[in-house]
Amino acid sequence: MVGPPYDCLANPLGAVRLTFEKAIGSGSHPSSFDGKDWGTVDLFRHFLFDQSHLSQVPILNLATIRWIQPNTLVRFRGMIQDMLGNEFYVGAYKDGSVWRTNKYMDFSQFPIGSSPGSRVWERRLLYCVPVPGINSWAESASEVAIDGCMNWTSQQRDKRGRMDFEAMDAKDFPVSGSNFEDSPSAKRMKEDGQDYKTEAACSGTTVVSEIDKDSFPCLVKIYDSPESELKLNDVFEFVGVLTFDSEIPAEKGDHDEFCNDYCDDDLVHLPSSKVPRLHCIIHRKLAAHDFLHTSPIIEQKPHWVKDVRESLLKHLTDVLGNDGVAAHYMLLHLLSRVHSRVDNVAVGKLSLNITCLSKESVSVFGTQLSLAIKNLLPFSTCIPLTVEYLSRSSLAPKKDYQTNRLIPGVLQLAEGSHLIIDETQLETGTLNSVGVDNARLLRNLIEFQKVEYDFTYYKMEMTADVQLLILSEGKSNILPADIIMPFQPSSVGSSEVVATKALEAWRWYLATVRSLPHSIESEMQKVVEDDLVAARQTDRSIGSQDFSRWLTMGRLISSSFGETSLSLEHWQMVKELERQRRERLK
Amino acid sequence: MKDVDFNADKVLAKDFLSNFADANGEAKYINILQDVANHKRRAVQIDLEDLLNYKDLDEEFFRRVTENTRRYIGIFASAIDDVMPEPTEPFPDDDHDILMTQRTEDATENTDGSDPQQKMPAEIKRYYEVYIRAPSKGRPFTIREVKASYIGQLVRISGIVTRCSDVKPLMQVAVYTCEDCGFEIYQEVTARVFMPLFECPSRRCKTNKTNGNLILQLRASKFLKFQEAKIQELAEHVPKGHIPRSMTVHFRGELTRKVAPGDVVELSGIFLPIPYTGFRALRAGLVADTYLEAMSVTHFKKKYEEYELRGDEEEQIARLAEDGDIYNKLARSLAPEIYGHEDIKKALLLLLVGAPHRKLKDGMKIRGDLHLCLMGDPGVAKSQLLKHIINVAPRGVYTTGRGSSGVGLTAAVQKDPVTNEMVLEGGALVLADMGICAIDEFDKMDELDRTAIHEVMEQQTVSIAKAGITTSLNARTAVLAAANPAWGRYDLRRTPAENINLPPALLSRFDLLWLILDRADMDSDLEMARHVVYVHQNKESPALGFTPLEPSKLRAYISAARRLSPYVPKELEEYIATAYSSIRQEEAKSNAPHSYTTVRTLLSILRISAALARLRFSETVAQSDVDEALRLMQMSKFSLYSDDRQRSGLDAISDIYSILRDEAARTNTMDVSYAHALNWISRKGYSEAQLKECLEEYAALNVWQIHPHTFDIRFIDA
Repeated sequence: MVGPPYDCLANPLGAVRLTFEKAIGSGSHPSSFDGKDWGTVDLFRHFLFDQSHLSQVPILNLATIRWIQPNTLVRFRGMIQDMLGNEFYVGAYKDGSVWRTNKYMDFSQFPIGSSPGSRVWERRLLYCVPVPGINSWAESASEVAIDGCMNWTSQQRDKRGRMDFEAMDAKDFPVSGSNFEDSPSAKRMKEDGQDYKTEAACSGTTVVSEIDKDSFPCLVKIYDSPESELKLNDVFEFVGVLTFDSEIPAEKGDHDEFCNDYCDDDLVHLPSSKVPRLHCIIHRKLAAHDFLHTSPIIEQKPHWVKDVRESLLKHLTDVLGNDGVAAHYMLLHLLSRVHSRVDNVAVGKLSLNITCLSKESVSVFGTQLSLAIKNLLPFSTCIPLTVEYLSRSSLAPKKDYQTNRLIPGVLQLAEGSHLIIDETQLETGTLNSVGVDNARLLRNLIEFQKVEYDFTYYKMEMTADVQLLILSEGKSNILPADIIMPFQPSSVGSSEVVATKALEAWRWYLATVRSLPHSIESEMQKVVEDDLVAARQTDRSIGSQDFSRWLTMGRLISSSFGETSLSLEHWQMVKELERQRRERLK
Repeated sequence: MKDVDFNADKVLAKDFLSNFADANGEAKYINILQDVANHKRRAVQIDLEDLLNYKDLDEEFFRRVTENTRRYIGIFASAIDDVMPEPTEPFPDDDHDILMTQRTEDATENTDGSDPQQKMPAEIKRYYEVYIRAPSKGRPFTIREVKASYIGQLVRISGIVTRCSDVKPLMQVAVYTCEDCGFEIYQEVTARVFMPLFECPSRRCKTNKTNGNLILQLRASKFLKFQEAKIQELAEHVPKGHIPRSMTVHFRGELTRKVAPGDVVELSGIFLPIPYTGFRALRAGLVADTYLEAMSVTHFKKKYEEYELRGDEEEQIARLAEDGDIYNKLARSLAPEIYGHEDIKKALLLLLVGAPHRKLKDGMKIRGDLHLCLMGDPGVAKSQLLKHIINVAPRGVYTTGRGSSGVGLTAAVQKDPVTNEMVLEGGALVLADMGICAIDEFDKMDELDRTAIHEVMEQQTVSIAKAGITTSLNARTAVLAAANPAWGRYDLRRTPAENINLPPALLSRFDLLWLILDRADMDSDLEMARHVVYVHQNKESPALGFTPLEPSKLRAYISAARRLSPYVPKELEEYIATAYSSIRQEEAKSNAPHSYTTVRTLLSILRISAALARLRFSETVAQSDVDEALRLMQMSKFSLYSDDRQRSGLDAISDIYSILRDEAARTNTMDVSYAHALNWISRKGYSEAQLKECLEEYAALNVWQIHPHTFDIRFIDA
């Protein structure tokens, strides 16, 4: 194969330059590139996807940052946590008689003369963090690829890279305050990168305050793409040029001299010596699929889906101490997601409240359940609800105008996250105003799938898509879930070790089945409508929320069988499940 | 770039300044400059709108001014220097003037050539500041919309101020004196930092090679007031799933101290880059921060009275007003996603419109705000209605009876944590002054607030006597309350008074009280089931069957309506008085009075009628307004005592009539077949006999004609 005259991996900027020169050479004036691409994206898309070199691009994380060279092509997977606004830069300028570009670069490589024709372009800054509550399997899935190219890059890793990393490591990572606990783990990681990885894997996500533990922020600079493409809390993979220099000392003194207390520069708070910058060339939204190791090559036959469903249901039944009904509901709950929003109603959510759990039993079933969920879903978190926790923690993200940053809250979660709220720990006590606010936030999240972000002068509602599972003794009044499920275990859950193969199949199943389309045929619609009216005629307390819940369940049941339209059989299953549940509620 | 002849433009600017005449024929700018010459004002604001209206407008010149505003401020300033009139009034000399006279004398003495730094810069002589204000036509930009291509241009932006720095002096012209030659040396400062001069550049020092030592003269230098602020996008301008953007704004001179954090402002200013200086310039040569050099500040008004109609809104309103059905149309456009409840929506519309306040000669005030209470079972969309109304109203506060802050609904005296002073902090009702205060969970209100709310609802003030502070705050707000029945759900076996868990003294203050019950009704059940299934199938709400007016249009219409203050003509006085007395009579006759008809009721009738007249853009209240007001009051009572209606036969007839009329209006026909009519009324639980009775009775009144054989109905167009 005759390679191109540049190396897209090691010298992406060369490729950018070449395409730019080519575009200029073909007679275009740089002003025609305002907010447009001149072929770089196509080139890289071809290189990454058509020639499938994507897996060779190293993923940027704490472990890899020490050997990755600046100005090479890297990938970063993360959630958009904050948007820092626009940055203006001289995009194209004349160096003598030659046009040069600064796109995908932090600093100019050639001195910029004050030539009149220079074009000012803009790029958007996104502050990205690893997805909150990402589970170890999903994380390791993204690391798999590295092994392949380790050899390739390790040759290039030189002393300087190492020193860079150590210099950076000595300082704290500049994230959200609670990072002081990080230093020990960071130190250990320095001693032995391998050790760190395993530690990160077991530290997991049982306690929310640990989310920040392996926080590794990245400032992504987005070029040209329309604003609506990238939204807050979306999970993306960014491929682009890394710039990361710890060489330049933070010129604090220089800055303070004339800015005094009023400095408003975002970049000062995120010096590039601490937060790497990624000049994004290509980005793509990640779904649960992309976190799977390998997609099973089995073709999607209905019976295969049914088999996986059966085995997963059995697994859940085991975990839930042989409570079949609860396992059914759990399966539906794990499959739920917000499909659409119609006047304030989030259609498709199905939050589950498992009641009749005491403090003792929660230690058995609760831990098993959260472990099982952790193994099944890519992102999951757990909040132990106590009076103290409610009164002290900041659940909602808040804008800090001093630093011009959005301080993340626990409830800033990526789309499709799973959240367990353990209410069994809650004891009587008085809530302060923060606690009342937090309780209201949780309630809003569970009812409308919305979180209010605090911008001091006003609040902004951001939509969320979080599966909520509540563990409580009695019916939770703070968190009115869609389904109240009294839990009746008949045995202590088994703690059998699940084969990796089965786990992978289940993960694949959950990721695929969730996104199946759904429809209700007109004959079925008539049956459903009649059933709903009849139910309401017999019991006046049934309202539109119950209707909505049944339809959601109908949808989830038929999708769980891999089908795309509601059948009478599945509708009967919904009614049967609800009957069994109501029986228990009595 | 074309060569722009700035001298020619200066001539144009001069011409504009001296010849522009405003609508009254006054030479606007010459008058301003005269004031400046007399040291009465400092700011010279050049309104680009005036430039647009100028008779000899040069389009190109206008474009150049908006696109290169910074440069043209200088051009206008030097033009002003040329046309500045002589002062006509004596004013005391200050330091500045004494220095100036000295300098002019000096200048004639020792002119040693054309040394640029010795020539006095024009800035130091100027007593005024020039601002160029963008024309206020069209919608201001959001911060997000200001792109790289706007750099250097004049833009208009709306946003909320989030941070403000202290006001600091900013050096505009540094003045030095040389120890050796004694010359004054001037240095113009254009950036925030500057490199001071150390060596005297004057020719005398240069030729003598003395390297004269320069001393900075702070008194002689010219400083400007300077303030930096940050503005942030307004919540409604942020696209879904994005974070509000912010922008730095620099205020200079007279524009400082105009804004405080939390203000919603509209700014016009020049969007400029800040060049990095020093070490950072070397490193970050290509990124530039940007800021807005403010040219004018306008605070947003959030009151109906100050609502400015934009562009074609006036025309649209006029068109709407001509539409005979505006009352229904507006009412339906309120919370269109909530099905039914037409009368309640009408009442809410009237609440938004309100009646004029009256102030009697003896100082007594009669409120014009309507108070409305919605009571009903949980889950009948009360809260949604409330929230929607708050969104439509330009000034509205939504709160719950148990407001979470310590201030509560009314007001509280609190200790300021910084200064330790006692401060008054207004609660929701005070904050909603001249607006609407929606109180959810009204029944769960604190006892303390409940006593205070009596005063708010009638006198429209909040009085405070705490911690040595005795005062009363205005709370001219319309209260929209929502409450649950006493036992969570409405208990039909108990009397309404038992179900409504509020004291009569409070209830009588509400103009309208509405009970929304969740009744067992096959029709509505099926409607609901269909709706839910539809939503799940199609992921959107079913079509409404009409296009609701947008909230902005609604707001514009209401604000236009609120400008009127209709009065009751003499001939109607008698009519209202009779209506009122008959209600009183009726109540006296019945053995279990449902409501307390008091003088307040009479005032309510007047208020509702006035609000209806406002909606018609009429200066006088018509009899139809009073009729509609009475109907609404009657309906609100019916909603409370519907069981009575079921019992009395007479009411059934009129109810059937209203069903038929509503259905006919809905389908927009004048003809209704008998089969249809029977279908409709039987769903509501009436018999065929009752329908026949109704048909006959109303046919006798010439409301409709009945086909002799088929019994089909034909409404007679009134």
